[in-house]
Amino acid sequence: MIEINNISKRYGSFQVLTDCTTSVAKGEVVVVCGPSGSGKSTLIKTINGLEPIDKGDIRVNGQSVGGRGTDQSKLRSKVGMVFQNFELFPHLSVLENLTIAQIRVLKRSSDEANACGLKYLKRVGLEAHAAKYPGQLSGGQQQRAAIARALCMDPICMLFDEPTSALDPEMVNEVLDVMVELASEGTTMMCVTHEMGFARKVADRVIFMDHGEILEDTSKEEFFGNTDARTDRAKQFLARILHH
Amino acid sequence: MGSTYKWNWGIFLDPVSTGEPATYLDWLLAGLQNTVVLALASSAIALVLGVAMGIMRCAPNRWLAAIGALYVALFRNVPVIVQLFAWYFVVPEILPVHMGTWIKELPSMTQMMALSTMCLGLYMAARVCEHIRAGLGTLPRGQRFAATALGLTLFQAYRYVLLPVALRVAIPPLTSELINVFKNSAVVSTIGLLDLSAQSQQLAEYTGQPYEAFLAATLVYIVINWIVMVIMHRVERKVRLPGYIGSK
Repeated sequence: MIEINNISKRYGSFQVLTDCTTSVAKGEVVVVCGPSGSGKSTLIKTINGLEPIDKGDIRVNGQSVGGRGTDQSKLRSKVGMVFQNFELFPHLSVLENLTIAQIRVLKRSSDEANACGLKYLKRVGLEAHAAKYPGQLSGGQQQRAAIARALCMDPICMLFDEPTSALDPEMVNEVLDVMVELASEGTTMMCVTHEMGFARKVADRVIFMDHGEILEDTSKEEFFGNTDARTDRAKQFLARILHH
Repeated sequence: MGSTYKWNWGIFLDPVSTGEPATYLDWLLAGLQNTVVLALASSAIALVLGVAMGIMRCAPNRWLAAIGALYVALFRNVPVIVQLFAWYFVVPEILPVHMGTWIKELPSMTQMMALSTMCLGLYMAARVCEHIRAGLGTLPRGQRFAATALGLTLFQAYRYVLLPVALRVAIPPLTSELINVFKNSAVVSTIGLLDLSAQSQQLAEYTGQPYEAFLAATLVYIVINWIVMVIMHRVERKVRLPGYIGSK
């Protein structure tokens, strides 16, 4: 589904990603973790071409991201993405947020788009808020609406970039619950997150990054179970975030 | 003067001394009409061109951004009266001969109105451009990411997501620009175009009643701009976003 081969990227003299290689198979849930500044958000943004890469090759469903013959917009429309700061469009109602790309990109009629939008709003428990504006929702509600917005495009996989990092603690679970449900339905997912409870529960694989490199890429059982075999930096990271 | 000045507010209803079948009030109204037409026409040019330039300045393309920056540098940094003289005295001469001749053969009133509108419109566009750039600049980078991640093209992202929000943010400074253009339009009296300020000056000279003439002009400018403020305030309230910048 997603193949990342030897990609590198630098901002000026700062190397953000160094020779990263990994993949996500259909139906797989992969959690990416690591200290801040380790390049995990950049990595996930390269998958739909939001961050261009300097070297290497990324393929989604066999199509090269940023390749010459690739319709970038069309490819992106098939890859759902959820952002740390929700990024709902403030001038559109919640339902319009869910329908705009269906109408403008997938060319659905507004009836079709509304029906689909309401279906997913219901799934994330927000059907009562369809007519409200994003600014009138709580952070947790906004993030659930943002997930619904991505699902409306019938994505072949979902990318989550620290979806709970900007939330108040009491709102984290309502968003994680939606993500757990998606995972249990067999959605192909790649999630950058510090929520190790979520990783333990639904991840098939865990990737650990530091300084722009993938240091660990292993099964969940191995990552959390066989801690002695982890790299020093992963051990330090785990010790820091699991001990509170 | 002072105590010896004889006020005469009835002067506006007197027939003008040039022999035309008009009152002095008619002169003021004719001036008002020119001012309003000039301000609205140049605002329309400024809005369209300014938005286009503002987008270009923010575009992820060096050449487009450079064109926008150059435009602003040229039209914002030269005094508007110098620009007006350039439009009126220089532009018709440096255009290809047949175009220059065409302009010079227009009725003088039309010619002055057209050149003044271009001058004020292009000057104001440079300022609108900067307000749009500031508006776009307030939007988080993630908004463009979110829009394009959904499959919208960059053009669609601007059209449906970024500009609608940036324009809302830019409404208060754009209101100031609109008020400014009504006032700045008085500069056209220097090339002989009879706008509101020129007519009041003429009125003062013909009647010897400068206080009445300039007080009337002052009052009319205040009323026009008060109307502009009320209208723009309504627009602002109408498009205000719940829970977003500027809302309660």
